[in-house]
Amino acid sequence: MTTGQLMADERMPSRIADETISGVPFARLVKLELRKLVDTRAGRVLLAVVVALLIGVSLIPMFAGSPAEDKSFNDFVQIGSIVLQLLLPIIGILAVTSEWSQRTGLVTFTLEPRRTRVALSKWAASALMGLIGVVAGFVVAAVFTLLTDIIRGSDPSWSISWEVVVGIFVGQLLYISIGVAFGMLIQNTPGAIVAYLLIPSLWSMLGSFSWMANIAEWADTNKTMAPLLDASMQGSDWAKLGVSLVIWLVVPMVAGIWRMTHSEVKSG
Amino acid sequence: MIKVEDLTRRYGSYAAVDSVSFEVQPGTVAGFLGPNGAGKSTCMRMICGLTPPTSGTATVLGKTYAALPNPGRHVGVLLDAAAQHNGRTGREILTLGAIMMGLDRRRVDEMLELVGLNKEESKRRLRDYSLGMRQRLGIAHSLLGDPKVLILDEPANGLDPAGIRWMRGLLRGFADEGGTVLLSSHLLHEVEVVADELIVIGRGKIVAEGPKSALLSAAGTTVRTTDDQRLANALESAGFQASPATGGGIHTDAVPEQVGRIALEQQVVLTELRQAGTAGLEEMFLQLTAADAREGVAA
Repeated sequence: MTTGQLMADERMPSRIADETISGVPFARLVKLELRKLVDTRAGRVLLAVVVALLIGVSLIPMFAGSPAEDKSFNDFVQIGSIVLQLLLPIIGILAVTSEWSQRTGLVTFTLEPRRTRVALSKWAASALMGLIGVVAGFVVAAVFTLLTDIIRGSDPSWSISWEVVVGIFVGQLLYISIGVAFGMLIQNTPGAIVAYLLIPSLWSMLGSFSWMANIAEWADTNKTMAPLLDASMQGSDWAKLGVSLVIWLVVPMVAGIWRMTHSEVKSG
Repeated sequence: MIKVEDLTRRYGSYAAVDSVSFEVQPGTVAGFLGPNGAGKSTCMRMICGLTPPTSGTATVLGKTYAALPNPGRHVGVLLDAAAQHNGRTGREILTLGAIMMGLDRRRVDEMLELVGLNKEESKRRLRDYSLGMRQRLGIAHSLLGDPKVLILDEPANGLDPAGIRWMRGLLRGFADEGGTVLLSSHLLHEVEVVADELIVIGRGKIVAEGPKSALLSAAGTTVRTTDDQRLANALESAGFQASPATGGGIHTDAVPEQVGRIALEQQVVLTELRQAGTAGLEEMFLQLTAADAREGVAA
């Protein structure tokens, strides 16, 4: 080792001006969580897959059927919404579970020991990403409505009710929130994704038995959310939506945040 | 400073950390020593609020860790250099830390340079880092917020000899500027050069604690003879402890003069007789932790 190197090795970090140090603001946590969603290849691939699938499923109505059949702006919005419903919650799940699967929780929770704030910032960041996803869905739907008109002369209807727009925004945010809740409760990426994707289908299967049909009407989010997404909410639909959300969103979210704030964070 | 009082963590009936108390004052480097599984990491996780203690308290700078506002600006923590997202670049990992702590991004460049990670290396993903590079990045991360306290779990792990030497200089300088350092290791020689205080833990309990110089002088004598077994028996019948020393000879708690007299009585030829010093500390460390392990089995 040369003398010059020794001198360089003995350098100390510079001091930061010692102003009063305040807690980490919530907005900063949300900004950080948003960045963590896009700063890895895995995160960016997932977002690219969302866009690619939005485009992919829109190609189906574009070329299928007669030129006037199912080619309105509303039709494209609805088919895109199915893709978002499947994939956006996975973003929410990964935002949470990566702290365990990649063991980054060790750093995250030492830099912000108030873990409830970390949990809420992950929820907020996932919701913001979801809003961007829904907007992307509307943009893709508009482009495809226009392209289909040009290529196939579909002469589409551009009308869409505000209830559908609001319903899709609210519905997708609820789906993402369920994803976040499952992530916090299960703390494991494959487990949370499988649970999120499988449990509703399980309900649909069970619902095919007559004695289960009644329960499924109240507990199957696929059934209770459908009127929200196509703006056909009426009568007991609201109560059914509320009950299913208590089961699949409120209970897992509360239990998940409790688990996140009380569990031991280990490296190994 | 760091203050730990009666800290205990049980997993079922097993006590991973059992009534541990110690203090580390500003301006000192404390070496936290113990074999694998002795409870060092569990203890450090409790200090940092990651593992809830079964009983007892730990404070850093007079507060519980969770009560520190923006803790990264007060305490630099490195518990596991591998516990970072494998798909992030080294620079991105430090940038996330800087955002969280509300620091200028130039701090990231300064820290990368300080730990000797160049521009090209900082743009690599963590999965392509060697263990030594991860440790350097982890040390950079712990220093980001200009903390007053450093808590480092096995930071020398994976560093090359030049890296270990560099880290010692860094920690010494940090303590000399008034900082507090708690540094764990399962290897005595890794910390004995830099540590002012030693805290030795075995099976969850503190087995020795104090200034390094005091522990060194209590470390006994190393002796080599032409008939080690005979001298060892004589030492034991005279009421001293005697055990084989690593690298040959006997290690005993008798002082050199006592050993010399016993050897003379027994007419054993001495080939080497000296105060054990650091080698003795190593011996003591092994003995203390081994004796504790036997207790554990007996219980």
